[in-house]
Amino acid sequence: MSQSIKINFTINGKRTELTIPPYMLLIDLIREELGLKGTKPGCLEGECGACTVLVNGEAVNSCLYLAINVDGKEVITVEGLPVTPEGEIDPVQEALIQHGAVQCGFCTPGMVMSIKSFVAQCNKDNIIPSPDEIKKAIEGNLCRCTGYVKIVEAVESLF
Amino acid sequence: MKFNVVSPENTKELLELISVNQDRYFRFGAGYTDLLIELKKQPDEDLTVINLAQLTDDIFTAISKIADGFRIGSLVTAKRISLSKDLQSNYSVLTEAAKKLASGQVRQVATIGGNICTASPAGDMACALVALQANCEILNSNGTLRIIPITDFFTGVRTTVLQKDEVLRSIVIPSNNRKNKIYSNFIKIGTRRAMECSIVSLAYHILTDEKSIITHAGIALGSVAPTIMLAKSACDYLLGKSFSSLNPSEIKEFSQKILEYASPISDIRASAWYRTEVLGNVAKSIFEN
Ligand SMILES: Cc1cc2nc3c(=O)[nH]c(=O)nc-3n(C[C@H](O)[C@H](O)[C@H](O)COP(=O)(O)OP(=O)(O)OC[C@H]3O[C@@H](n4cnc5c(N)ncnc54)[C@H](O)[C@@H]3O)c2cc1C
Ligand code: FES
Ligand code: FES
Repeated sequence: MSQSIKINFTINGKRTELTIPPYMLLIDLIREELGLKGTKPGCLEGECGACTVLVNGEAVNSCLYLAINVDGKEVITVEGLPVTPEGEIDPVQEALIQHGAVQCGFCTPGMVMSIKSFVAQCNKDNIIPSPDEIKKAIEGNLCRCTGYVKIVEAVESLF
Repeated sequence: MKFNVVSPENTKELLELISVNQDRYFRFGAGYTDLLIELKKQPDEDLTVINLAQLTDDIFTAISKIADGFRIGSLVTAKRISLSKDLQSNYSVLTEAAKKLASGQVRQVATIGGNICTASPAGDMACALVALQANCEILNSNGTLRIIPITDFFTGVRTTVLQKDEVLRSIVIPSNNRKNKIYSNFIKIGTRRAMECSIVSLAYHILTDEKSIITHAGIALGSVAPTIMLAKSACDYLLGKSFSSLNPSEIKEFSQKILEYASPISDIRASAWYRTEVLGNVAKSIFEN
């Protein structure tokens, strides 16, 4: 009954063409079709943010996003964050580690992607966010372990 | 969860797809934040989703100033509304509602049209639009446009006036009288600060003249009845009064008029008593700062 649909998009900088079922969710495209398991399935209802990825630079919940709608767009998952030849990871990841803001780590990939888009926006608007603005920026990412304090401190250290 | 998807790229293709699918079960999908959750809970049916997300016509996707106000395409997202300086300075009730909706990830994709058409009593942008007494511009598959005040759009819990061959194209918000001062805000009370489906919400858009006399009042209530309510008698009560010098008994009478519109329920989020209590206090708070 449902016809497969061909899409063209970039995933972590790589141009990709795939034919997928029309009802496929972006999280399943990422985890099952592309085998990128860094993006986590949590609630699958838009509440927890564990599945957060960037589409055209903006954080979205991949569990509530129809995969065919990334046609023509750029998708970045946690695996797509650059590592330098010297082995240096992304500053957001480094800050979370340095501040002890990772415990079980299940929320971390989604948290990192939300923080990435937030930091990019702040830099573009040339603002240094307050702790309250940081909390607001990660309101869509639940963390059962850290109590958020260290995460907020880690984000503050990026400015 | 299985369904077929068709993705029109312009209005003409959209109207054709609506016509062709009249005898089938179909749904529109815009930002999908309500639709996918609903479909996941349903058994698979022979469903076609008409995907609005790839439409590029400005009339569906733009915020534009028009002679008698602003037009917002149904596909404009909460994120874009929250960032619009024009909307912020004229109708902050709407930009505040957009900012308080869900999370950044949801706001990035959730559309104003989806928020209206899902017809939830807790729809934040929809509640603001009721306070603004906006008009809905509805297109049918023949291309005919009809305009319905948003106050007549909702017919019950999750039901609307939309017919099977109709789509919500855009929303028009009437302009404010230039000379007026604007008191416009959205108050949302939930059990926690982030991501909350509200326990009660109150949207107000009040205009005054140079002497602080109220010349226009729009007040809408969310989550207190099966649909969003325009608190008409409370609005009328304010006309001709001075915004800055309402006395305590007038404020009390006003808040009692607001409560007449509430038929709150007790549920997992709050009891009916609590909802009533909160709503009364929220109503008073408009004039108490
Ligand atoms: C975690 C989470 C938190 C949320 N929190 C809030 C909140 O705080 N406040 C709030 O108000 N909402 C909230 N919502 C609900 C939802 O995000 C909003 O209602 C959103 O605006 C819906 O828009 P959409 O584009 O995603 O709609 P969709 O899911 O695409 O569509 C919703 C409905 O409207 C119909 N539809 C969409 N566009 C049109 C159109 N142009 N013409 C005719 N029919 C149309 C669809 O067929 C569907 O029935 C939340 C949702 C989630 C998942
Ligand atoms: S898994 Fe997507 S928001 Fe929880
Ligand atoms: S570190 Fe365990 S959920 Fe955040």
